[in-house]
Amino acid sequence: MKKRSGRPWSRAFLALALGAGLLSGCGSAHPSGSGEAGGPEGDQVIIALNAAAEPAAGFDPCLGWGAGEHVHEPLLQSTLTVTNPDLTIGYDLATGCAASEDGMTWTVTIREGVRFTDGTPLAAADVAFTYNTAKQTSTAGDFTMLDHAQAVDDATVVFHMTRPFSIWPYTMAAVGIVPEHCYDSATYGQAPVGSGRYLLRQWDRGQQVILEANPDYYGEPPKIKRVVILFMEEDAAFLAVQAGQVDAADTSAVYAGQTPPGYTLLACASVDNRGINLPAVPAGIDSQGRTAGSDFLADVQVRRAINIGIDRQEMIGHVLNGYGSPAYSVCDGLPWYSEASQVAYNPAEAAALLDQAGWTIGAKGVREKDGVTAALHLLYPAGDSVRQALAAELANQLRRLGIDAAMEGVGWDTAYSRALSEPMIWGWGAHTPMELYNLYHTDKETGTAAYSPYANPAVDGYMDRALASGSAEESYTLWQKAQWDGVTGITQQGDIPWVWLVNVDHLYWVREGLQVAEQKLHPHGHGWSIVNNVDQWCWS
Amino acid sequence: MRVWNRRQAALVFFALASAVLLAVALCGPLLAGRAAETDFSRKNLPPCLAYPFGTDWLGRDMLARTLAGLSLSIRLGGLTAGVSALAALTLGTAAALWRRADCAVSWLIDLVMGIPHILLVMLIALAWGRGFAGVTAGVALSHWPVLARVIRGEILQLRQAPYFLAAEKLGVSWGQMMRNHLLPHMLPQFFVGLVLLFPHAILHEASITFLGFGLPPEQPAIGMILSESMGYLAAGRWWLALFPGGALVLVVLLFAGVGERLRRLLDPASIHE
Repeated sequence: MKKRSGRPWSRAFLALALGAGLLSGCGSAHPSGSGEAGGPEGDQVIIALNAAAEPAAGFDPCLGWGAGEHVHEPLLQSTLTVTNPDLTIGYDLATGCAASEDGMTWTVTIREGVRFTDGTPLAAADVAFTYNTAKQTSTAGDFTMLDHAQAVDDATVVFHMTRPFSIWPYTMAAVGIVPEHCYDSATYGQAPVGSGRYLLRQWDRGQQVILEANPDYYGEPPKIKRVVILFMEEDAAFLAVQAGQVDAADTSAVYAGQTPPGYTLLACASVDNRGINLPAVPAGIDSQGRTAGSDFLADVQVRRAINIGIDRQEMIGHVLNGYGSPAYSVCDGLPWYSEASQVAYNPAEAAALLDQAGWTIGAKGVREKDGVTAALHLLYPAGDSVRQALAAELANQLRRLGIDAAMEGVGWDTAYSRALSEPMIWGWGAHTPMELYNLYHTDKETGTAAYSPYANPAVDGYMDRALASGSAEESYTLWQKAQWDGVTGITQQGDIPWVWLVNVDHLYWVREGLQVAEQKLHPHGHGWSIVNNVDQWCWS
Repeated sequence: MRVWNRRQAALVFFALASAVLLAVALCGPLLAGRAAETDFSRKNLPPCLAYPFGTDWLGRDMLARTLAGLSLSIRLGGLTAGVSALAALTLGTAAALWRRADCAVSWLIDLVMGIPHILLVMLIALAWGRGFAGVTAGVALSHWPVLARVIRGEILQLRQAPYFLAAEKLGVSWGQMMRNHLLPHMLPQFFVGLVLLFPHAILHEASITFLGFGLPPEQPAIGMILSESMGYLAAGRWWLALFPGGALVLVVLLFAGVGERLRRLLDPASIHE
């Protein structure tokens, strides 16, 4: 899930590599083989992305390329739908799409005259093949709601569903179409044939990918003809920027203060949020025999006090050097976001809530109630310095409220089970309302939500109805009602089982003169989002 | 001015270095609170009078963290060196005195020494569940063979010594021979070996923590401090790595010096220098 894998070996190698680089004078290594970075006169860009962004399984949509939690446009393949800049649904290959009355079939008509890069036309059979294959093989995308896809004629494909799923167009936006006649799952990832804006010219595993504009592309021809993506760790990328070897590069708040000459810092707003789960049931053993719940956090007044008692702006200043925005929900700024989630920082009211609930200041300034101290154990994924800093800042702020907070770094092997009883710093934020469902909807078998104990039948009901509604657009209001319907929900006035802290801006160094096209809200994960629309970038 | 002879100089160095190391080891628990304290109003400060080692991205005082980390290292080093040395003493003595045990122990020594050291430490630490227990087990269980071999060899050599053979022929009891002939010759070797295990143990603890197989991130361990500092070197925060790294080297050198002086003071061959 939310891993940013801390690979200990890589640090040792990096140290060696840096040393070697210093010794050799950092002279001639031009990674793309063709010499200089794009520069104002060229129609090429060289972009450094985080090393973790390199797809291990290759560029195969049936194996998860483009999909999953770090969702982005597949570039090499085209998709039926796309997400617009405001994260509503638009069409790419599709010319129309509609669900049946009962929601159990989706009929999609596809545009004609589209060819794969090997010259063969793209037909509905390819679409059906892609979805049926992805259902079998994809580990990144969720296809449990799809029974099978069927090509009715060359231009129409019908999706037979296992259950109504109104937000199917959001799934379609993340599945690139592969050609049935030459698809082999063993080799496709290394040498993909698609119908997207670019084709894969070269892939040097562990180093770089070179994309070239697809001359047969059916849409507007890309302005940038050649895109070189280098996979680098953050510090190597910063050194590459300082050496002027790349046109754009992934970076973080650590480096944001020291702009290299000739570059500007691009801060992309995101829904890449960080928040904590607050186990909303008393401590005990759950139906699966796991330790779950917290006596302190089971009190809804306590959860409300935490939500309004933390100063998100201060947190952004302290931890993110100002590069972020306050988060109030898992889906801030997306079409299904409910404005009712927003709260104002009010430490006085937070203290009053705690007092009312009987948590009064005791010895050493820590609140107590019936002999129980108001204590929290904040977990964060070990090796993630931003979440560690957020945990430290949150602990400091909670102490001001009279809550004794300790922190502990945990590995992902134990994090999920530990989080059932202790708050943990999570990172979420995807371009689909399913994330609300995944976090807040109860599981049929366990009777509680997946990541943190919580259950509210009214919230479940709205989300079930949202999925059963006729279209994604119709479902938005139901997703909003699931958050707050005027009576109950998951916001401040409701049950508030999660408290959202910040949305982390995604930061990039961009060479002066390079115009990066308008970005959608970036989802969780610092990966390929920036290049979603690289075809529309230009040099001035 | 009075000139010290070598023995006196060694004694003075030994006393001073031991005092420094002891002081560092003792100040750890006292500084634990200060080392963990985060304060974002003073984050990323370069070395200054108030914070001679600077502060990190959470505003933690690096001097307090470094001292707490060194203290942890020394205490952990003491524990693991102690366990290792005890194991070495038992196995080495057993190997020297019983032929059957000798086969088994020699085989075990070859086995442990045949596996790359850092790999073995990592494997044991992982199998033991990482954390403090894992690191202690990893370092303790992998450092005994060298000392065990020394002790085994020493005892075998002593048993062939003329005075030992003569005592045996004269019918001196086992206990008396141990007390009068074996221990006085072996103990110096043992103590020096024990002290020289310290720097090894400390460095290996720091290494595997640096690589992510050791102590958890909230422990102010030197390995953890160095590993965290890696992400900030390119951003120009050199003090995060330089001072803790330098302090670690200094502690290791002090231990090596103490071991060397101890040998000089105890070893019968150099005792009259």
